[in-house]
Amino acid sequence: MRLSRLALLLVVGVCFTPMPALAQTFVFGAQGEPVQLDPAVITDGISSRITRQIFDGLVRYRGSTTEVEPALAEKWEVSRDGRVWTFQLRRNVKFHDDTPLDAAAVVWNFERWWKSGHAQHENQVKAGQTFEYWEAQFGGFDDKSVVAKVEAVGTHTLRITLKDPQAPFLANLAMFVFDIASPRAVETSGTEFGKRPVGTGAFKFVEWKPNQEVILEANPDYWGGKPKVKRVVVRNIKDNSQRLGALKAGEIHAMEGLNPDDVAVVKRDSSLQLLLRPTNTTGYIAFNYKVKEFQDKRVRHAFAHAINKKAIVDALYGGTGLVATQFQPPSLWGYNRELRDFEYSPAKAQELLRQAGFAQGLSDITGEDGKKEPLIFWYMSRSRPYFPNPKEIAEAMAADLAKVGIKVELQTAEWAVYLDKRKNGQLSLYMLGWTGDNGDPDNFLCYFFCQPGASREGFYANPALADVLLRAQKAVSQVERARLYRQAEQMLHDDVGRLFIANNQPPLAFSKRVKGYVPHPTGSEYFHTVEVQ
Amino acid sequence: MRRYAIQRSLTVIPVLLGVSVLVFGFIHLIPGDPALTMLGERATPEKVTEVRAGLDRPIWQQYGIYIGRVVRGDLGVSIVRGDPVLADLLRRFPATVELATAAIVLAVALGIPIGVASAVWRNSIVDSLARLWALTGVSMPIFWLGLMLAWFFGVELRVLPTGFRLDTGTTFAPWTNFVILDATLQGNWPVLADALRHLVLPAAALATIPLAIIARMTRASMLEVLSREYIRTAEAKGLSQAAVVLRHALRNALLPVLTVIGLQVGHLLAGAILTETIFSWPGIGLWVYESIESRDYAIVQGASLFIAVIVVGVNLMTDLLYAAVDPRIKYD
Repeated sequence: MRLSRLALLLVVGVCFTPMPALAQTFVFGAQGEPVQLDPAVITDGISSRITRQIFDGLVRYRGSTTEVEPALAEKWEVSRDGRVWTFQLRRNVKFHDDTPLDAAAVVWNFERWWKSGHAQHENQVKAGQTFEYWEAQFGGFDDKSVVAKVEAVGTHTLRITLKDPQAPFLANLAMFVFDIASPRAVETSGTEFGKRPVGTGAFKFVEWKPNQEVILEANPDYWGGKPKVKRVVVRNIKDNSQRLGALKAGEIHAMEGLNPDDVAVVKRDSSLQLLLRPTNTTGYIAFNYKVKEFQDKRVRHAFAHAINKKAIVDALYGGTGLVATQFQPPSLWGYNRELRDFEYSPAKAQELLRQAGFAQGLSDITGEDGKKEPLIFWYMSRSRPYFPNPKEIAEAMAADLAKVGIKVELQTAEWAVYLDKRKNGQLSLYMLGWTGDNGDPDNFLCYFFCQPGASREGFYANPALADVLLRAQKAVSQVERARLYRQAEQMLHDDVGRLFIANNQPPLAFSKRVKGYVPHPTGSEYFHTVEVQ
Repeated sequence: MRRYAIQRSLTVIPVLLGVSVLVFGFIHLIPGDPALTMLGERATPEKVTEVRAGLDRPIWQQYGIYIGRVVRGDLGVSIVRGDPVLADLLRRFPATVELATAAIVLAVALGIPIGVASAVWRNSIVDSLARLWALTGVSMPIFWLGLMLAWFFGVELRVLPTGFRLDTGTTFAPWTNFVILDATLQGNWPVLADALRHLVLPAAALATIPLAIIARMTRASMLEVLSREYIRTAEAKGLSQAAVVLRHALRNALLPVLTVIGLQVGHLLAGAILTETIFSWPGIGLWVYESIESRDYAIVQGASLFIAVIVVGVNLMTDLLYAAVDPRIKYD
């Protein structure tokens, strides 16, 4: 009797336990599991979304822009030659383990990133980790780095001396990778620091349940003001549709990674709201310049007129895409607003092909060795923000090309193999894109075009363009730099070096109860301004 | 019986060897540089050199080294996170066992009665419905079913959660990672109820296919037994239909069903990869899925071997059980 009553109670309980209220807690639905939570060695957005809440950098991006504003550094000045930076640190800031944030702690962090012999650098490398972004943004480790000296010149004054002026220096420092960690905590935890992170940020780390969630709690002493919620939970929900289901069911308050088709679903739902990240991503088509036909500018030009970008963006981006006219997305300050894009005109494309001697159409290409082979158009096997449906987009482009007599065979490869082939210059015609790291035009253009003839860029060699970009990298005045980047975009356009197809504004979905979430182009968003009503 | 048990157990050895060769070999079949494949994109040059040196040995030597490590319980370390694979595997396995057990219990508890009813009232409306249900169940894509269940019960009706093992913010320190067991042992009824609520949908999704298969198998087996002469004898003796069906027919009909249940364990573990991914269930299925995505081959390799061993072990146990239940079974 007692047993059956218990069973009955249990059954009733299972069916009718009400959903618990989530007051004071902000639950974010992420697309996967963080790799780890040590900002210095991670590169992925899922991990950095969490570390951004736990740590602060010297500077950070303002609102939804990529302009830089003070964070742990209250103010700074730079010498006239652009080489010596002096930062005044905010006073009375403590790490979550109660150790003080001072100039010595910041110096310690720089040395860890920069010096390969630093104990807390060496142990990471031995464990298979790399300080990848330090290498990319500051030229390398030890003597190879653009950084020459980092010193504490007072308890709260920091001086960084560079070998050469670096225009994107502050923008680089605002990246999540250069957030400041508690030296004591890193030394105590060693390579396990990524599982027990300690910073100065708005939220303290509480617990990481593998494959489930990461729990953070508000730091009441946060220098930037007390966070609006007491707890943050970042839940890992792999499946995009299921994540949307959890949002609609009220189990989470916010999510990223919406299927393009679900954008309309969110718009229709009166309990949900849609926010778009300002675009920071560009999808393109690249030619391999070892292919004889592509060396003829008229052929490239024909491609540019043949593809109906607007139709593709309208049909396949769920309403969040923009037609790209150049490599930089419009949110960057080096964007060239005067640039006039190639119009969609199959007739012009056919005329250009005829002039180039392909009146009968183009279906075979000639390799370096003079051998003919079918023209293969490589499409990505994986969805990225700039090409959310790569296969469908490639099919649409192939159909456009066929209309003017260019016949391509569509082919793909497993993602890592694809990237490998691209790196080695083995793809004749391919699609790929870029998502910006720090909001600096250099991060878009120079990585691709500063080394003329690189195999990973399809052997595209435009030394004049590289020269402009290298000058822009060293110039100190932003006005001058912006002028050079606009010029660079025009040069790239005039040469039809590459075809820029679309920018995308990755959508985020929220419950209407959430206020104060500011989407950021780099995906680095702070939760301390978030309120759940 | 003992001879059969020994002989049957010995057949496991070649199977396991075959499995280990496959699991060992697959890393060499992936396109690209195997050293880079194993170490991931962030490999340091020193490590690559070190691994390449190992890869330059003859393949049988490499296999020998691999088996030597596996036998000592060393499944390597995760490429992405650097944690030992075996420890992570054991920490996540209870969640999968809990889910798979719930699914198999559900499948047996519903599948056998449905099969029996179908056979006894053959060609009735009950039978037609059950057969339709079984056919649908067998051909149902599990991820689709999972999504639909979550959508209907979680989003539309809001009576059950759409995923996870416990509600967020539930404070509970598990002892064994079998949450239901731990909550019961600790007498923590709210957590037990919460855990059961979370278990319902994934278990139902995972149980669908085995349920359908068990129901069909039970029906077929029952029909065969019911046509036997000893059943007619039992009926002629004037036994009630319930006694005939349950005491005389079902016991014999269940033998082939037992094998099918054993075989379902393999399917359950495979199905768990999809079910766990859909329902964010933190078992080895979700873990393997994430590892495949992040190209963490050390985990994929270790988990594949582990799952294979479990499946082989369960099938062995089923066969031994079968022999114990049915004295007619012999090895030949």
